[in-house]
Amino acid sequence: MLLRVENLSLEFGEFKVESASFEVERGDYLIIIGPTGSGKTILLETIAGFHTPKQGRIYMGNEDITSLPPEKRGISMVYQDYMLFPNMNVYNNIAYGLRKKINNDGEVRKEVKHIAKVLDIKHLLYRNPTTLSGGEQQRVAIARALVVKPKILLMDEPFSSLDVKTREKMRKLVKDVMKEYETTVIQITHDFEDVFVLANKVVIMKNGKILQIGTPDDIFRKPTNEFIANFVSTNVLRCRAVGKKGNLSVLNCNGVTLYTPDKSHGSVIVSIRPEEIIVSPYKIFSSARNILKGKIIDVIRRGNLVWLTVDAGIKLRTVITPNSMELLGIEKNKDVYLIFKASCVKVIG
Amino acid sequence: MSGKLSFKGFCIILAALFTAILFIAIAFLFFVPSPQEIWKSMTSPEMIFSLKLSVITAAVSSAIVMLLGIPIGYALSRFSFFGKSIVKSVIDLPMAFPELVLGLSLLLFFGNTYVSRSFEIIGLKIVFTKLGIVVAQIFTALPYSTRIIYSAFEGVNRRYELVSRSLGYGEFETFTKITLPLAKKGLFASTIIAFARCMGAFGAVLILAGGSYMNTETLPIALYLNMSYGNLGMAITSGIVLIIVSFIAIAIFEKLEGLNAVKS
Repeated sequence: MLLRVENLSLEFGEFKVESASFEVERGDYLIIIGPTGSGKTILLETIAGFHTPKQGRIYMGNEDITSLPPEKRGISMVYQDYMLFPNMNVYNNIAYGLRKKINNDGEVRKEVKHIAKVLDIKHLLYRNPTTLSGGEQQRVAIARALVVKPKILLMDEPFSSLDVKTREKMRKLVKDVMKEYETTVIQITHDFEDVFVLANKVVIMKNGKILQIGTPDDIFRKPTNEFIANFVSTNVLRCRAVGKKGNLSVLNCNGVTLYTPDKSHGSVIVSIRPEEIIVSPYKIFSSARNILKGKIIDVIRRGNLVWLTVDAGIKLRTVITPNSMELLGIEKNKDVYLIFKASCVKVIG
Repeated sequence: MSGKLSFKGFCIILAALFTAILFIAIAFLFFVPSPQEIWKSMTSPEMIFSLKLSVITAAVSSAIVMLLGIPIGYALSRFSFFGKSIVKSVIDLPMAFPELVLGLSLLLFFGNTYVSRSFEIIGLKIVFTKLGIVVAQIFTALPYSTRIIYSAFEGVNRRYELVSRSLGYGEFETFTKITLPLAKKGLFASTIIAFARCMGAFGAVLILAGGSYMNTETLPIALYLNMSYGNLGMAITSGIVLIIVSFIAIAIFEKLEGLNAVKS
């Protein structure tokens, strides 16, 4: 166990955290996800040592670091808006933390050059940070945080202000870099795609409270309450691109063929929103390209919606109203057809 | 539409009119006396003494004001502590507080009290001395400077400091390496204001330092004393010198700031 947060409570302005507890192992990529204003940022800042909790403790290994100043914790922080020091160029931004640790200019230079190469920002080293694009600033901010080899790297919505393409690239890059630097990461996001691509542990937060902790699979397959179910309800599948048909890509997902308009190569992760899947007791003809036959293996009524899990070779979740359920005669173990358009199959990683 | 236009016109004309009157009034200062008269007054021992005294005291005072104002402004901007709102209002008070009353309060405080006696033990005499000029100038200028410093620090995103801390730098190092450079513009502005306020400080200086001829006679006091003797030429010259020194100060600071901006 690397980091243990125990029963942590605090308030800061209009944000609060209420008795949060969770653990992080060495090498974990933990993602905290929740709607805006759920207290994620102050939780992160408290771990970094910027706020004093009203209650609860934080342990690093066996050491209680609750009242340790931030500079003694070995925890780096990357903010959504990067916070590159505008009074220094990119090189000095990255070297800033290193200079505190190493008293040797040559050594510092070597480390900076190395991480600049890894993050592909070598050509930017002598630029002023204010002249960089969002994606470039992002990489510099990550380089600055990572080059000091922190015990834990905290990232507050690092990809949220990037455009979709850059975001995808950054995710892949971050994943590779974290491996090379063997970093333990806690990241905040409100974007589920980050979870699928990066996390091995997920914490769901709402209104300052932790609602569920688990692996991404746990969270997506066994959401513990309606909020999480609605929040994370999308179906996530690991597939392999096997060919093209017209302008659609053909995917093989555990033996089941799916069509998507998104470009795909090799192994991909796709997401299908449950509300976009039509459930029918009969095979119907339509313009939708994806038609699967399966057996209903689970029926859960939550609030005014009914959640079905259908095994069609792949397990898919879908949602209908109680009225439709009655009309269609839905019950467990019944065979149904699942129909959804190719455009509903979104490649996310 | 025409109503709007005429209101706009009214506001602009008013602004232009006021500015014009101000400029003409200042110009009168330069053109009413003859150049010979100005030159004679300018080179008189009294004027040279006043100019020297004013520049030296104002420089010392504004340095002290900045040394005090930076930590105070930072505390008000960054930390929450018991009595913060009181500290804030005390600092704001002298802005609305008549300078003469401030001087009177300082005179009573430093006058014949334990405070003055304990200062005298270490050899510092404040009332009716040049040191008194500095003290009065500091109290006059500090609130203005602190205000500007405070908003300069408010303009620096706290997260820069947090990032610096997380990268291993302590509170003070972060302050000197990140916060101060990022607040530089506001600190420069504050120094200019402090110097200008100290140069022009009159009421508090008159009462605490006494305004005695060729002793505690700063430029504003020279203006006042000569005015009351009916020595119009000397009074006007003091005014001119005051204005010139203020403009030079502003020019120097702007130049310095410009150089700094180019460097970084």
